[in-house]
Amino acid sequence: MASIPIDSMVAAGPLRVANKRLESLLVARMRALLLMPAFGLIAVVALLRIASFGVLGAPDTPMSMEQRLLPPRGEITDRNGLPLARNYDAFALWFNPAAMKDGGSPLVHTPAEVAAKLAAIFPELDRADVAERLASGKAQYLRRRLLPEEANKVFEIGEPALELPAEKERFYPQGSMAAHVLGYVKDGKGYLGMEAVLDDRLTDERLRGQPSAISLDLRVQGALEDELRKGMLSVNARGAAGVVLDVDTGEVVALASLPAFDPNDVKPTDLIGTEEQRRLKQPSNSFNSVTYQVYELGSTFKPITIASAIDAGVVRDLGLRYDAKPVKVAGRTLADSHSLGDTLNVPEALIHSSNTVTARVADKLGGDKLRDTMRSLGLDERPYIELPARGQPLGPGEHWSRITTMTVSYGHGIAVTPLHLASAYAALVNGGIWRPATLLKVEPGTEVKGRRVFKEDTSARMRQLLRMVAVYGTGRSADAPGYRVGGKTGSAEKPSAHGYRKKSLVSTFAAAFPMDDPRYVVIAMLDEPQGTTASSYQRTAAWNAAPIVGKLIPRIGPMLDVRPDLSRDVDISDLRPLIRSDIE
Amino acid sequence: MVRGSRLRQIGWAICIGVVFAGFMLLTFRVNAVKSEVVRAEREIVVLEREKLAMETEFETRANQQQLADWNAIEFGYASPRADQFLETERQLASFSAPRAADSPPPIRFAREMEASDYPALVSPLAEHDNPGDGEPEKVAAPTQGEARIALASFD
Repeated sequence: MASIPIDSMVAAGPLRVANKRLESLLVARMRALLLMPAFGLIAVVALLRIASFGVLGAPDTPMSMEQRLLPPRGEITDRNGLPLARNYDAFALWFNPAAMKDGGSPLVHTPAEVAAKLAAIFPELDRADVAERLASGKAQYLRRRLLPEEANKVFEIGEPALELPAEKERFYPQGSMAAHVLGYVKDGKGYLGMEAVLDDRLTDERLRGQPSAISLDLRVQGALEDELRKGMLSVNARGAAGVVLDVDTGEVVALASLPAFDPNDVKPTDLIGTEEQRRLKQPSNSFNSVTYQVYELGSTFKPITIASAIDAGVVRDLGLRYDAKPVKVAGRTLADSHSLGDTLNVPEALIHSSNTVTARVADKLGGDKLRDTMRSLGLDERPYIELPARGQPLGPGEHWSRITTMTVSYGHGIAVTPLHLASAYAALVNGGIWRPATLLKVEPGTEVKGRRVFKEDTSARMRQLLRMVAVYGTGRSADAPGYRVGGKTGSAEKPSAHGYRKKSLVSTFAAAFPMDDPRYVVIAMLDEPQGTTASSYQRTAAWNAAPIVGKLIPRIGPMLDVRPDLSRDVDISDLRPLIRSDIE
Repeated sequence: MVRGSRLRQIGWAICIGVVFAGFMLLTFRVNAVKSEVVRAEREIVVLEREKLAMETEFETRANQQQLADWNAIEFGYASPRADQFLETERQLASFSAPRAADSPPPIRFAREMEASDYPALVSPLAEHDNPGDGEPEKVAAPTQGEARIALASFD
């Protein structure tokens, strides 16, 4: 191409060359003229695009599937992955008077008719109140958390003003179950239980897609609450508490405090107490009596004292008989609830729950040693658990007098939470290792090492002794056949401003099963049980708390992979001859 | 020269045209697939939410308290007793009663035995011979003919 103009220029002379140049110049100008508007157009389009960004904002980028499915707050599940708390879109019933857009009446029918139709779907709605609200013409919620079928029925009424927006709600499918463990959510923030503890994790964008498993087993929790509730109602108790603890890992498998509240619908009275509760100075329903309230747990402390004495070598011969007559010390007389004979040995003292013998054993052991044991069992500090509600135990302090040592030995003058007792009993039966309790799921092999409180053989002895209490003693009604239950009753009078109140008791049963290879500790506690026909008009733990454990263990055993076996048991043949059967 | 270059130009134009058409076709196809993916994703999201809602509804209706109430009022099931559990097959077998004298003969099913029906035999001697060897020498499983003979001799 390039050679052609040169050829023609040489042939046509200078004039043609000048013409050619002019022509090329013209063409170049024309091209530039054509290109310029094209560039201009592009510039204008770009400017318009920038302007549109500036005026309208960046267009919404479509969210990815992961983002859409990411819950605004993570799910809490039990140890088997079943949901305990989750977010989901629940229908609300919203009255929107502007929906008709014709300026006339917001409703097709009269407010009274619509209210009647709504009341037919939701029986708890007050018809007159709803009619008034519909007539007022103000936009408002009429009800929240509708079931899908209820939403369909509302839709069938055919009122455009009744809108059904789907709203993100924190929902607890199990209702009031495990309410004290879970807590509740208000305005996106967790309160009280694991909702508060795990708040950061549940709201973290990277972590909330994965459910957070806690150590509870939903089925065991359900069984515990059911049995506690039945037991509480049958003896007209004011409250009840219960805990099931894994003895080897410290995991809390179930934890119940009654009365409970519904985290789906937390009322102000749940938090500050009803008027009656406030008048009687009773705790509100949100109060956790397992981890926060401290009680004198009475005779359930006796096995701890005996274990401490066996461990220290103070009690070597279990056949040795102790004086069982009332103890006179520091101007006070410590006696048993009823006479159990002049002398008792240690197994008999536990079986019949003798205060005098336990006090004499503690006296021989000495206050320092007993205090050290209690301290290594964590009974002098707030319980180890993730929950924010942890009660400070009340104890006799640093220096124990002789009488203090004696009364503490059978659980008076020291107040701890039921969770303290559960952790202590776990150490008593699991070979002597104390571990902090936890509500987080512990993967096998990662359990806390814990600290040794009792020797291995002391623990073996305690397994025998606790089993004997359940076979021959006050814990007989807890002895579920085949589950090798062992445990100790405790009934303590509640203190008041004017000394102990004879008629208001706290009755507790602390148990472990199966005693030949302990897996779980179970504590059941009743606050102020009354004597009713169900408890043969008795108030003590043998008649109300122990039966709860006796009914609970056959329910939860198979769920926790503990099979009943009538052919197995702890060998108590060496201790059996030591107990006389004539005292009752 | 001019002819050749014109041809070449047309050639290039056709080439570019074909490539461009192909490119456009591919772009449309890609966008179609993309929008299909987006639609599928949206459907997944809707279904997942629906699943979550239904699961939650199910969990709510079948909550532990409700189940306990139903059981107390309607069914009255109790937890299994210790004697309802069996530890071993031997325990199960112990329930069978010995055959009475006049009972009909038990029904037998014919089945050809396979060599794999028998466990591999391990010679106790083989282990004795090489006490250091971890792996005991396995005796070959009997063939079908041998197995039949063994069965016959057991009867």
